Amino acid sequence: MAREESSKVTRRSTRSSSSASVTVENPEPNESHSPTIDDLTFGEESITLDALLSNFPGRRSQILDFIRLIGPLDCPILPIMVYGSASTGKSSVVLQTLRHLNRPFVYSSSRTCYNPRILFESILNQLLLHRKCSSNGYSSAKRCDKPSDFVNLLREALSNVIGTLDSASGKGKMVYLVIDNVDLIKYWDKGSMILQFLFSLYTVLKMPQLGIMLISGLPPDVYYSNMGYTDPLLLYFPEYSEDDLRLIFLRNQANKKLYSAFLDVVLRPFCRVTRRVEELSTTFSSLFRKYCEPLDDLGVSPNEEMKRRLYSHLKPLIAPCLNEIFRVSSHPHDGDTRGERRQKVNYSSETREELEVLDFHMSSSAKYLLIAAFLASRNPATLDASMFDSTGGMDNRKRKRKVSEKSMEKKEIAEQEAVMKGPGSFPLERLLAIFQCIASVGDSSFGEEGEEEEEDPTGYDRESNNLMSDILLQVSSLCDANFLVKSGSCPLEGSIRYRSMVSEDLALKVARSLSFPLAKYLYRR
Amino acid sequence: MAPSGTVTDHPPSSTTDSFNSDVTAENDIRPFFVLHKASSGSSLHGKSIGTLKSKRRIESPTPKIAKKSEVESVEEEDGHFFSTLRLKVFETVWSKIEKAIEDVLRDSNSKIFSGIHDWIRESFESIISSGALKLSEAVRSYPVLTQASSKQLFTALVLTRNLEMVDDLLTFEELDLYLKSQGCHVAKLSSMDFSAKSGVGGCLRGLLRQFVMPTVDVADVTILASWYRENKNHENPVVVIVDDTERCCGPVLSDLILILSEWAVKVPIFFIMGVSTAHDAPRKILSVNALQRLCASKFTLSSPAERMDAVLKAVFLKPCSGFTVSYKVALFMKSYFLCQDGTLTSFVRTLKIACLQHFSLEPLSIMLEHFCQDHVNQLSGEDTGLLTEATMKHSFDLPSVTRNKITRSTFEMLPQFLSDLQRMPNPWSIVVLCIYEVGKFDKLRLLDIFCEILDPEAHYLKYFSPSEIVNCQSHNSGRNNVIRRVLRKLRDLSPSQLSSMLKSWENLTAEFSEINDKVMELHPFMRSVEAAGQRQGLPNSPKKHTSRSHSKLEKEVKAMTDKVAAVIEFMLREYMKPVETIPFHEILCFKNVDKLQSALLGDPRGKIQSDLLESHNILHCMCCSQRGTTLLPSMHDTSILYTLAQEHADVINLHDWYQSFKTILISRNSKAKQKSKSSSKSKKRKDICEEPEVPAEALIQARFCRAVMELQIAGLIRMPSKRRPDFVQRVTFGS
Repeated sequence: MAREESSKVTRRSTRSSSSASVTVENPEPNESHSPTIDDLTFGEESITLDALLSNFPGRRSQILDFIRLIGPLDCPILPIMVYGSASTGKSSVVLQTLRHLNRPFVYSSSRTCYNPRILFESILNQLLLHRKCSSNGYSSAKRCDKPSDFVNLLREALSNVIGTLDSASGKGKMVYLVIDNVDLIKYWDKGSMILQFLFSLYTVLKMPQLGIMLISGLPPDVYYSNMGYTDPLLLYFPEYSEDDLRLIFLRNQANKKLYSAFLDVVLRPFCRVTRRVEELSTTFSSLFRKYCEPLDDLGVSPNEEMKRRLYSHLKPLIAPCLNEIFRVSSHPHDGDTRGERRQKVNYSSETREELEVLDFHMSSSAKYLLIAAFLASRNPATLDASMFDSTGGMDNRKRKRKVSEKSMEKKEIAEQEAVMKGPGSFPLERLLAIFQCIASVGDSSFGEEGEEEEEDPTGYDRESNNLMSDILLQVSSLCDANFLVKSGSCPLEGSIRYRSMVSEDLALKVARSLSFPLAKYLYRR
Repeated sequence: MAPSGTVTDHPPSSTTDSFNSDVTAENDIRPFFVLHKASSGSSLHGKSIGTLKSKRRIESPTPKIAKKSEVESVEEEDGHFFSTLRLKVFETVWSKIEKAIEDVLRDSNSKIFSGIHDWIRESFESIISSGALKLSEAVRSYPVLTQASSKQLFTALVLTRNLEMVDDLLTFEELDLYLKSQGCHVAKLSSMDFSAKSGVGGCLRGLLRQFVMPTVDVADVTILASWYRENKNHENPVVVIVDDTERCCGPVLSDLILILSEWAVKVPIFFIMGVSTAHDAPRKILSVNALQRLCASKFTLSSPAERMDAVLKAVFLKPCSGFTVSYKVALFMKSYFLCQDGTLTSFVRTLKIACLQHFSLEPLSIMLEHFCQDHVNQLSGEDTGLLTEATMKHSFDLPSVTRNKITRSTFEMLPQFLSDLQRMPNPWSIVVLCIYEVGKFDKLRLLDIFCEILDPEAHYLKYFSPSEIVNCQSHNSGRNNVIRRVLRKLRDLSPSQLSSMLKSWENLTAEFSEINDKVMELHPFMRSVEAAGQRQGLPNSPKKHTSRSHSKLEKEVKAMTDKVAAVIEFMLREYMKPVETIPFHEILCFKNVDKLQSALLGDPRGKIQSDLLESHNILHCMCCSQRGTTLLPSMHDTSILYTLAQEHADVINLHDWYQSFKTILISRNSKAKQKSKSSSKSKKRKDICEEPEVPAEALIQARFCRAVMELQIAGLIRMPSKRRPDFVQRVTFGS
């Protein structure tokens, strides 16, 4: 403790000499202690190699390789690049290994540091033992957004740190710089330049005391360029095998036997879908809760009969989970309103299933507009005239004409092409024209069947239905809801084209709520 | 919102005269003149919409005008006094209505809000319980190395169930306040913060601005982490509300979620995302990686239709302000809600416009003030003293009064009728609510019931004749027969439903003894039904035809429903008097649906077109108003061009168009001279029509270009494409 105090004092003096603007104004002891040189290491007590290896099942060879690459204390190293797909334990292994070796390091993730300036400043802050807090106005120790400045500042900060490290014992004279998620830098503004810089940092800096480690989700090939820099040493983390995954998931379980029985059931099907530990663990935790539902005592070790029983309980739940990435659980507090919702759903029709009914409110003109957009995206524009003629779109003339085999084939190919191309785009005028057609048709011939359309003896409704005044507003709110997407730039030129992003299911639902015969208007569907 | 400020209260001068007399020399500058006068021309209309409208209105023989033309100039003082008084009364009435609406909405949300707060508390406890972090741990840059699930962000999807967001902006605002009052750190982001341009930095900056301090140099998550560890901030959860998720830029939101999830253990953040469409909407805009980080729960707000019913109940059926609307207005508002807009906000706005127009059109509307005051039942003498001779006369000219052959015998009659009027809605609304109770079983909406029941010409009692009962069972057409549906549903109700209905009736009618007695008489029948049900053992399933005791039960239920139907008939016969059938209802009831419609649906595009074609109606120049169908060069260029464009199909050849434009401009020379000779009008008019010389070719071209540009800006034509450089395209057709 005393040593820590003293080192804090020395740190302060060095920092105030180096940092230009921000000094700690209030001398009163605040509870947030300022960081010391010890904070550069992992902080907690280091772990043994055995503990490290057992913590990461299936990563034994990678850990040993990595320790070998780092080498003994004070051994300068070439840059190391750790790569492998997501959720294979790259960051954890690197950090825990450094913890095991008890080496000082600086960690920055390009996820959190989303632009060069934050990245540089975050590295410098850690090296300068600076922490953002209210007393310094949450500012960084140095302002730095250019790579060239960064090199200078880094060199300065490093020599300071290494000077202090000399006096501290047992930590060597090396500082390691870990940059995580390097692949994200590619998408930054001027990202390739920053990447070049990071890869060549070792040669530019010319300080063997800094060990650079890059962690990337992409293989090194994507970073190659003509710039001459030292190729980093590579360390590949392959995906976990099924056995590895089993070991990983069994690690922290209270009842290993029960969980292993559970894994027997779920691990194989899910491994075919994904091997990311992160994804699997969220899925498994919810599934395991379901799995345990029939059990009273969670400490029980299951026998064959019980396993079978539990399996049959779980079986129907597995298949839907396989396809699911995003689960929305309904909260118990929400229960009663859901009941109301079901009531409301039944309101529009008692016999239909709940799935087939729209569960949010749209005004009926917005509904017609949605259908019009859907039609405009699916049907070729040339067919509009025949679809929406005065008879209201019942074009049977086309169908009756004899079609030869050859033309049928051609049509099929064209249709497949259309499917591949996705929804087509259309100008606003076409949308409005179709809207007017179907809205008038919907009013005159199908209005009587509709349940939500109400008859209107005064005629006000009929009139205002055809009013186009609010339609443009509706178009924009459909755009906002991502049902329509816009393209084109100049609104004066009128060259904006729209595209309907609505799935056929939703369009059918909407059409059903209006009792609109959508299928009749769809071309070849 | 109808701008209440436009109702200014200048003394109504004799401007009406100048409106009515068309031929004065000043007419040429009338647009400006009238705009001022129109607002001063008494608080007749809430919006100064335009000359055209005000003119039409004033010429129409509304009672107000009839009165106005008769009043002496002495009464102008009174007019001023009354218009300010009416405005004042409007304000009290509207504030009352507004408050009722606010209360209803707050009530409808309170349950969800507390649900969300409980969820936050529970989740926060679970995060805390997994182990507290030391300060040095909590602010360092590398992740806490525990289980992978520690990267999960707790997310509440709040389904607003309306495509439009407007209604729910207020809801999220209130949620913000509510959670803050519960001690959470809350920041509210909107889709504006998630623009692709400013990227993830923009929304982080927004977060830091609300949490930490207004100006941060660099928007960095570590700032948030350090802040959270200071000043005991870490004792409360951090909540981020994104109210319109669908409108956000997907990649940016995904980035924010990924970043925050990296820090999820150090700073426990709760996302509240407002979703206006289906609950899988996040799936469409977020990336897979971001989706996996969300641990989502779903909360559903009450649907717009449910809220609408609650608002209707509070405003029109519970004692609120006394103000009400007529059948046609109600129908219009309903169809506007269902077909056009679908937001409660616009419904409230419609209501406000209606209310304002009522007060500006109806002189007697000041009486509503007394309805507003709950305790004062009688009009006091000094209040009736306010009624001048003219208003009294007006009140006895009201159609509802003349229809009912109430003559103007005494002044004392009026207060009598008014107190009747005040009492009137009470039993009426009780009946409506009773019917709504039954209708609930058939999923009827109060909105439908309300609209139908206002119909002054409806004959409900015909549904009770035996032939009709048979009839309605055989075919179920006629979807707007609420009463018929209610009666039909009544016969399908199970005993338990019947008894719950009876209970709610009892509560509803508690204050009105006449109906309450009838309801109480039903109890013995209910008891026998229950007794029969118990004997049978299965009170809830009247559909099983097995035992004899069952048939007994059925008989009892049948007897019961017949009794209930009889009570409904009684209620309808005695108390179902739509407001429009009552004398003096004009005082309370807004009826002018045309005005409401024109105020609400501006129809700007149609207006632009019709105004261009008939520009003389706006400009009020003498030459054009007599032109008939011919185009005159003195017309506005844009107007000429647009009229010419009507002759073309969807594309217009620029050259032809220009030529015909030029012909019109040039040919005027001879014509105008003839005209000016033949017609002996004022000198001013001549000045306008007789322009100096034939304009030069360049000038014509310039005018042509400007006019075309104006048409383009108005969105009526589209500029030539590269493929056909000499053609413009017409965008709009018909007017």
